[in-house]
Amino acid sequence: MDGDRLTRPLAPEPGKKLGDDQGPSRPQINKPGGDNELLKRMKKIDPDQAKRYRQRSGQ
Amino acid sequence: MRPILAGIETEYGLIVDNRGAEDQVDDATALVAAYPGPCHVGWDYRYESPRADLRGFTLKKLSYDPVDAKFDFGRARHRDENVRADRILPNGARLYNDHGHPEYSTPECKRLTELANHDASGQTVVLRCGQEREKQIGARIRLYKNNTDFHGASYGTHENYLMPREIGFERLYRDLMPMLVVRQVLVGAGKVGAESEPQVAYQLSQRADFFVETANAETLYRRPIFNTRDEPHANPEDWIRLHVICGDANMIPSATARKVGLVKLALHLCENGTAPKWSFRNPVEAFRAISRDDSFEFRIQLEGSSWTNAYEVFESYFAAAERTLELDEDMAWVISSSRRLLANLRDCRENVVREIDWAAKRSMLEQFMDSEQVDWNDPALRAYDLEYHNVDPSEGLYAALVEMDQVDAGPTAEETERYLSRGAEGARSFARGLAVAKFGDKLTSACWRTMTFRAENEQVEVEMPPDANYPQALEEAESVESFIQMLRGVS
Repeated sequence: MDGDRLTRPLAPEPGKKLGDDQGPSRPQINKPGGDNELLKRMKKIDPDQAKRYRQRSGQ
Repeated sequence: MRPILAGIETEYGLIVDNRGAEDQVDDATALVAAYPGPCHVGWDYRYESPRADLRGFTLKKLSYDPVDAKFDFGRARHRDENVRADRILPNGARLYNDHGHPEYSTPECKRLTELANHDASGQTVVLRCGQEREKQIGARIRLYKNNTDFHGASYGTHENYLMPREIGFERLYRDLMPMLVVRQVLVGAGKVGAESEPQVAYQLSQRADFFVETANAETLYRRPIFNTRDEPHANPEDWIRLHVICGDANMIPSATARKVGLVKLALHLCENGTAPKWSFRNPVEAFRAISRDDSFEFRIQLEGSSWTNAYEVFESYFAAAERTLELDEDMAWVISSSRRLLANLRDCRENVVREIDWAAKRSMLEQFMDSEQVDWNDPALRAYDLEYHNVDPSEGLYAALVEMDQVDAGPTAEETERYLSRGAEGARSFARGLAVAKFGDKLTSACWRTMTFRAENEQVEVEMPPDANYPQALEEAESVESFIQMLRGVS
């Protein structure tokens, strides 16, 4: 939040998953298939990359 | 229908190995200065007025993020123009350091696809700067086209729309605000987690956490949904430059086009006096609630005790436009493609991943969760969120989805080179780009509004009316004098 930046890790409510809320079930979103170049690329990424990512505020 | 000239400014996230946010202004300055192509160095700041407010007053000063103030404490800076390292490119775009972020401001464009492709081509510009700077310092550099660092710092992707001054703040605010609140449903870039309460696993908008007021002129702090900065970059007696700051940076170019198109649709209706009338009880709360609404109902509380939802708000604009405007090709596409996507979202019918960034990113994350048997509590998901926006096509996850033909692609390499070498058809950016490419040795200063040349032993400033048509024949000018003469004849 502006002026009071959060520095602690943020996690969703324990046990809560997307689609748990009342209302229509979530839309069907097709997932990438095939031999999955995407997953291969994801596994090369440092999982702590965002934890270390700090920026100045811009506009 | 009068064409609405528009442009997009994107501030990129920047990481240099072994450097921190306290070094970011210096790093962004050096990165922009490393731009390897032909350009004009400098910018004419005389017409800038960031403290002027559309409501008829001028702020004494703009607010400043206190965390950033700590970064700057005790650090000497050079003159402001040296820190900004302005470059004007052969397509009329502006490249500079804005508060520690390399910023690419597209050439002003009249058409949606042209603007979206110029915006996408900006990724190549900052990537080339990064690669050049890496060679200079031998350190790894990463650039992200996103809007948050996940720790409370946000940086913007702003849209600019040229509108007649006579319309004024009240009409613009009334007719545009509902669209600004709901637009994220179709064009949000998606974010893991939240940077304000309440917490959520995933939300539609990168920026929703950062808007705390409905309208003001601030951009760095206490950000509003409707920004009232009055800096027209054109004759102020005739024009307003509407400065929209509440959108996300889109990786999918068709989403960029739709993001701009939805605002243009509202502006056409505003100008025509036929925009739908909505009175949201609390636009800031509605903006955040829609971003977090995993039920996809997107309910919005109205003044009094009634409710509506984002679907009805969208449809009210579409129906009003069909009823009262003569739609051009761009506006017809905005309405038909948006209706199709909204129907898919509401009725769970078809795939929306190709055209909506938040859906593409979420699909990617769900695939990872399925594969690795983890849930939304896995902290690595934010790393993948960030890397979706990495502009290096050999690393970025959006680029991986393009390779797999899962999302709409941007311009080809050949098309990108063309967008980087020419301004937009018929727009003043075309003339600015030509000046840089062809008469750069005579160009002494330039900005969005004017260009100043050294011609016949004197300084000659040329006003560039934003609504004029700038013909291709300008390319045929053989001297700066004839170029100036032709520019003065545009209408």
